[in-house]
Parts: sequence; C-alpha cells; structure tokens
Amino acid sequence: MRRNTEMLRSLIENFLRQQHGVDASKLADPNTKMQDLGLDSLGMIEMLFEVEDKYGFHVETPERYSQMTLDQLVVDLESTIRAAHGGVLPGELEPATKLDA
Amino acid sequence: MGAFFRASSSRPPSSMPEVRVTGLGLLTPSGLNVAESCAAWLRGESAIGPAPEAIRELLPQALAATVPDGWQQKLQRAVQGTDRSVQLAAVAAAEALQDAELDLPGETDPERIGIYVGIGLAGANTLDNLYATFYERLYRPDAAGHRNPAMVHPLSVPRLMSNATAAMLSILYGVRGPTHTYSVACASSALALGEAYRAIRSGWIDRALVVGCEAMITAGAFLAWNALRVLAQPDPEDPASSCKPFDARRSGFVLGEGAAAVLLENAESAQRRGKDGHAVLIGYGSSSDAQHLTAPSVDGQARAMRAALRDAGVAPKDVGYINAHGTATAGGDIAESDSIVNVFGEHASRVPISATKSMHGHLIGAAGAVEFAGTVWSVAHGEIPPTAHWRTRDPKCALDYVAEGARRLPDLRVAITNSFAFGGTNVCLVVRKN
Repeated sequence: MRRNTEMLRSLIENFLRQQHGVDASKLADPNTKMQDLGLDSLGMIEMLFEVEDKYGFHVETPERYSQMTLDQLVVDLESTIRAAHGGVLPGELEPATKLDA
Repeated sequence: MGAFFRASSSRPPSSMPEVRVTGLGLLTPSGLNVAESCAAWLRGESAIGPAPEAIRELLPQALAATVPDGWQQKLQRAVQGTDRSVQLAAVAAAEALQDAELDLPGETDPERIGIYVGIGLAGANTLDNLYATFYERLYRPDAAGHRNPAMVHPLSVPRLMSNATAAMLSILYGVRGPTHTYSVACASSALALGEAYRAIRSGWIDRALVVGCEAMITAGAFLAWNALRVLAQPDPEDPASSCKPFDARRSGFVLGEGAAAVLLENAESAQRRGKDGHAVLIGYGSSSDAQHLTAPSVDGQARAMRAALRDAGVAPKDVGYINAHGTATAGGDIAESDSIVNVFGEHASRVPISATKSMHGHLIGAAGAVEFAGTVWSVAHGEIPPTAHWRTRDPKCALDYVAEGARRLPDLRVAITNSFAFGGTNVCLVVRKN
C-alpha cells in the first residue's frame, strides 16, 4: 500500500521536475505550497491530468490544490482516487493517452 | 475610379523599401539545416521512403518523406510538449535568426517585427492522437485500458489550434507586432511570405519572421490523401524515385513534413545592422481560380505569375530560373507547363525549371517557404538543383526541367517560385540577386 502512495508522489514530482523544471530542493521543502512552484493554472491542470490519466478519474475543482503543500496534495489525491476505485489505490497503471506519434 | 485601380496595380513607387532575405532556416526530410538540405537537392538525392509502419499497416504501399532524427535535442523546454508542427517550426526559426544574427527579444523594436506562419493542417498529430485515444481506449467500454471518455488531455486545444506555431514563436522571441497564420493548403507559407513582404513594403513593420511548417504524417491524414488518388505509386525498382515531376511516368506526389523559416527585413534596417542578406524579395502575386476545389487552372496560375512579375518590375525574359510547384500529378504538371508557356512565350523553353518535391516530398503548408528558401539559396550561389528522376519526356510538358543534374548558372539574376493550392489559390514570388 505504502509503495503505491510513493508511486503517486513520484509521478507528480517527476512531472514537476521534467515538464516545469521545478527545483528538487523546492519539492523537498515540506512548507512549499503548489502555488510557489511557478505553475500557472494551465500548468496545474496539466499536472493533474498526469494523475487523472493514470488513475482514470476526473478532478472537479482543481483550484483548491494551489493552496496545498505537496504532502497535502498527495493525501488529497490519494483519497480521491480511492473513492473512485472502491477504496483501493491501484499500483502500476498504463497511461491511456499517447502524447507522441 | 478606373484610374485609381490602374495606378494601384502598376509597379509600386520607388519610395517603398526593398525587402531583403537576411536569414534562412530549414528542417526538411533532406536535412536538419539549410546547408544539408540544399546540398542534398543539388546532388539530386531523394529523402523519400516507405511511410512509418503504423501507416503501412493500413496502406502497405504508402511512401513518405519524414524529417530524420537529430533535431529533437535542440528544442527549447517551452516547445517540448507542443504539436510536432510547432516543434519543427521552432528549430527552423532558431536557425534563421542565428543566420540573420538577430538577437530576439532585445535588439529591435518588438512592435515593428511580425510573425507570419503558413500551415495546411495544424495540430495534425495532436488531433490524430486525441481521436486514437478516444476511440481506442476511452469510448469503447470493452477496450483495454477503458477510462472515463471525457478525459482527454487538457492542452489539446492550445496544441492543435491553427495559430499554435505563431503564438509559440511570438512568446519565445518576444515579438509583439502582427502575428498572423495563413492556411491556404499548398500555398500557405508562400502566401505568408507575400503578405509579410507587403507589410514591410508598406511600412507597417521593419522585419518579419516567416515560417512554413507541416507535420501530418499520420494514419488519418494518409487515408484522406490516399482516397483523393493524388499520391505517387511506389517505383518498383527504387522507391526513393517514386515522385517524378514533369516525367511521362509520373503518378503523383509523396507527402512530406518539415519547416522553413525566413527572416525578411526592410533593406535599410538590415543595412543598419551591417547585413546585405542572401537575396532580395522583389515581387509577389496571388490569384484565385474561382473554378474547382482541386483541379488547377492555367488562367489562375498565369495571372499569379504575371502579377508577381509586374510587382517586381521585371519582364519574363529577365527570369533565369523557375522553381516549380511541380507536384507530379497528371494534370498539375501539364497546367503548370502550360501556364509558364502562357506567361513566358518563346522564352519559356529557355528558362530552366526544377521541381524539388521529387526529393523532399510535398510539404503542403510548408512547401512554399521550403522552396522559397531553396530558390534564394540558388540565386545567392548561382547553382540550381535538378528535377530528380526525370527520364521520360511527356509531349504535354515540353520545357527544360534540368534533368541532367544540378546546373551552374553564374549569371542568374532573377528567379521565381510557384505555389499552387487546392482551393484555387495561386502564389508566385520573385527573388533577385543582391
């Protein structure tokens, strides 16, 4: 179970580092809020899509995440995913979307 | 009224600035930059081959001209998630600005520079992937990996919008002037060049970054083009020679992808930076056939060429080279040969004509700018590429198509390049040596 939470967290961290060049030290700081990472509203929904696409659910109110720290975000997303999957946080999943030909 | 119209269609007053070509960039199936691409064309070397496997599963005979790998690592971070057409454009644009030694933003008034983009089917890869994901995995409840069908990528719209390339380039380079996108099928980027030239001539802007780009080597696009019966049959001996413009054995074109970028500058602004540029863009003409969605018109093509020559103030006999539209379709090549005879009269048989689509394929929206860049290169270097694979004379195409290989033309002063689009829009651009 713990491993699946770590997978969810690294999915988000990898996206922030690779697609938005967020510094690793910023991510390691437990006080950093999502809004401090330099993500605009488009960047935020792009990040959420990475998670939505893998776990097959749709976040209705993405705005609320900008006030959260990364820890809070992972906890919140995990409970949202569990609610959509009968209480389970799935492990290895393939993304549904092919971004490149 | 009549006098006004006559005056406006005659040669513009000499107070209008000259428009110099000070930067070129190419990312084509033939090469990753201008030097590689132009060298391959002079050698008569074709970049045409079998289409990617996903397309050949549906169309086993399909041919394509794809851009070779080796450019992706040049992409700026902001461009990495964009449609392939935007990515190809960004690489070509960077080369053109480097060639022009123009640092953007910063070195120039950002409101006096414009971005003019020509593209046929913007966002083709994004759209194909979107529909593939939707129909293969999201929509069908029994599909492997079936998900909520409403969940498509949130950046789908900004990735596939027609002005995605122009928008990205304006952001990358801080360009705040006109940011226009022209989608006029196979004449898109030739028209973009012409309209940018006019904006500089009339004093609206000093510089324009003009880009043609196209990336629709996708299953959906191939099925559509194939159904239209305009694609070349593979040559049984040498698939690379399948596109044979003006040859009696021609059977159509090969779909290609790529990008070209051209920096046009008001001559005075260029000279202030110590730049003479590669050549001068001296004339632009466009016309509409008002006749048929796909069939070419000799009258429409001839009117575009005449308008361009009149705009340039040059006579047909002054033209020393024609870079043809030359798609290798049965009717298209006859119409173009006829329209050249119509405009050039006796001189038609003396002007060398080459169709480089025989080597780089048909780049649709990018074709006009790619072939313009090739024409500028030829005028600047005094050497023209051949029409590759020409062997068999068609009595209906009886002109000089430079079949023997590249030709040295040290006295070449003026050249034209033709771009004729589905929908009936024709564009001709006139280039003069510096």
